[in-house]
Amino acid sequence: MTQLILQSVVSGLLVGGMYGLVALGLAFAFGVLKVLNVAHGEILMIGGYVAFFAFTAWGLDPFLSLPIVFIVMFGFGALLYVVLFRFVTRTEIHTRIKNSLLISFGLVLVLQALAVRFFTADERTISTAYSSEAITIGLVRVPVVRLAGLVVALVAALVLEWLLNRTRFGRAVRATSEDWTRAALTGIDVNRVYLIAFAISAALAGLAGSLVTLGYSVSPNIGLGWTLKALIVVVLAGLGSMRGIIVAGLFLGLTESLAAVWLGGEYREVAALVLFLVVLSIRPQGFFGRAYA
Amino acid sequence: MLRVEGLEVAYGDLQVVWGVSFEVPDGSIVTILGPNGAGKTTTLLALMGLLPVVAGSVTFNGDSLIGLPTHQMVERGLILIPEERAAFASLTVEENLELGAYTSRSRSPRQEAMAEILDIFPQLAERKSQLGGTLSGGERQMLAIGKALMARPELLILDEPSLGLAPIIVEHIFEVIAQIRDRGVSVLMVEQHVEMALEIADYAYVLETGSIVADGPSSELSADPRVQQAYLSL
Repeated sequence: MTQLILQSVVSGLLVGGMYGLVALGLAFAFGVLKVLNVAHGEILMIGGYVAFFAFTAWGLDPFLSLPIVFIVMFGFGALLYVVLFRFVTRTEIHTRIKNSLLISFGLVLVLQALAVRFFTADERTISTAYSSEAITIGLVRVPVVRLAGLVVALVAALVLEWLLNRTRFGRAVRATSEDWTRAALTGIDVNRVYLIAFAISAALAGLAGSLVTLGYSVSPNIGLGWTLKALIVVVLAGLGSMRGIIVAGLFLGLTESLAAVWLGGEYREVAALVLFLVVLSIRPQGFFGRAYA
Repeated sequence: MLRVEGLEVAYGDLQVVWGVSFEVPDGSIVTILGPNGAGKTTTLLALMGLLPVVAGSVTFNGDSLIGLPTHQMVERGLILIPEERAAFASLTVEENLELGAYTSRSRSPRQEAMAEILDIFPQLAERKSQLGGTLSGGERQMLAIGKALMARPELLILDEPSLGLAPIIVEHIFEVIAQIRDRGVSVLMVEQHVEMALEIADYAYVLETGSIVADGPSSELSADPRVQQAYLSL
């Protein structure tokens, strides 16, 4: 029993790292553009296929291809912003959420259909020589690829936090998220900030897609499931802290995993949604959300 | 330097500004006075490209500004300090000032500019690492002015700088505005604090329901019985 619990704590934390990484991009786009992109999971899915084909077509190791996936998905995000989301951010802040929901839900359907058409509905995974390797600590097995995924999630959060707090561009991003009008009056090209922020959000989804394809699997319909987890994580964490998002992701993964052990596998998702509702009603700004007077 | 002619601005179908003309000559303080809802803020926002201009022209040093995005106007040295909360609450005092020097015209001399501003507002120096949102109203207005000065303005536009501030702080702010003019920066200021505004301004316009109804050098205008009756409660 102890072994089972320890093992599920570890797997919960490992999958939680993924939840955190997926939520990081979703929260970043939401915080800066006030755009709720429910197609975030589909962007992840596309990123997963980029990594998959880089591996099968060119034999590129999935960790070596991470920078390539990041750049490709950054470009894909920039394209999506120019073609679709630019029209959302032209509107007033309070109408952006509903407009972006409509647009991104359409995007979900389009990207899924295109993925089935071009990549088929088969479930794919990247299996490298080290895919089944694991580190054994006492009674617990830690699969290396999932552990590496957690490390990437942590590094991504820290880099994003550094960018926001320590660079000139980061200050411009924070100013724009607080009040875009005043940011424009400061001389910031708000549209450029939006474009880059959305592209970063898509690139983060791409990173998550690579790691999901490596540690789990990718198929055209995985997107919404990941988006849902990311939404729960964002509500748990609140906006404002990047490492808070990762912590909330770990917390969600852990809760699900322990619920599965103690209550049975069918309660995994239920536990996540109950947690979501409880936090929403008791602490709507989230664990780490900032509230300014 | 700034010349506005026949400016008309509307929110959708509702026109608020009807053919307003005024100018701000080099090195002077010009104030636009008028009651609430006269269209003062609307005029300023349209000037900065944040509201669509229906008709009229706006030129700055001879170049038309109509249709330029806001950030490019800032790049040319037109800085608007909006009404209330002009500084960012989620950034520290120092970050706000740093961000003030965002444009390429202001980036390189920002160290000296920062020292100069902390000299004008020593209170800000004490609160350098505090978040903007934790400052008092007066400190926050000082930060807003400091942040605007960091951008090296040629024309500083202030929308009701005295709003919600204690009289003693208003006096200090107005002194600073006069100093800014004396350093060669032109100032355009919208105010409801008519008496003090006329005291430091060189020229004034009175805006009512979207049109200019009176204008003249401030000394003449403060002697005008109509202005005295309507705004100075004499």
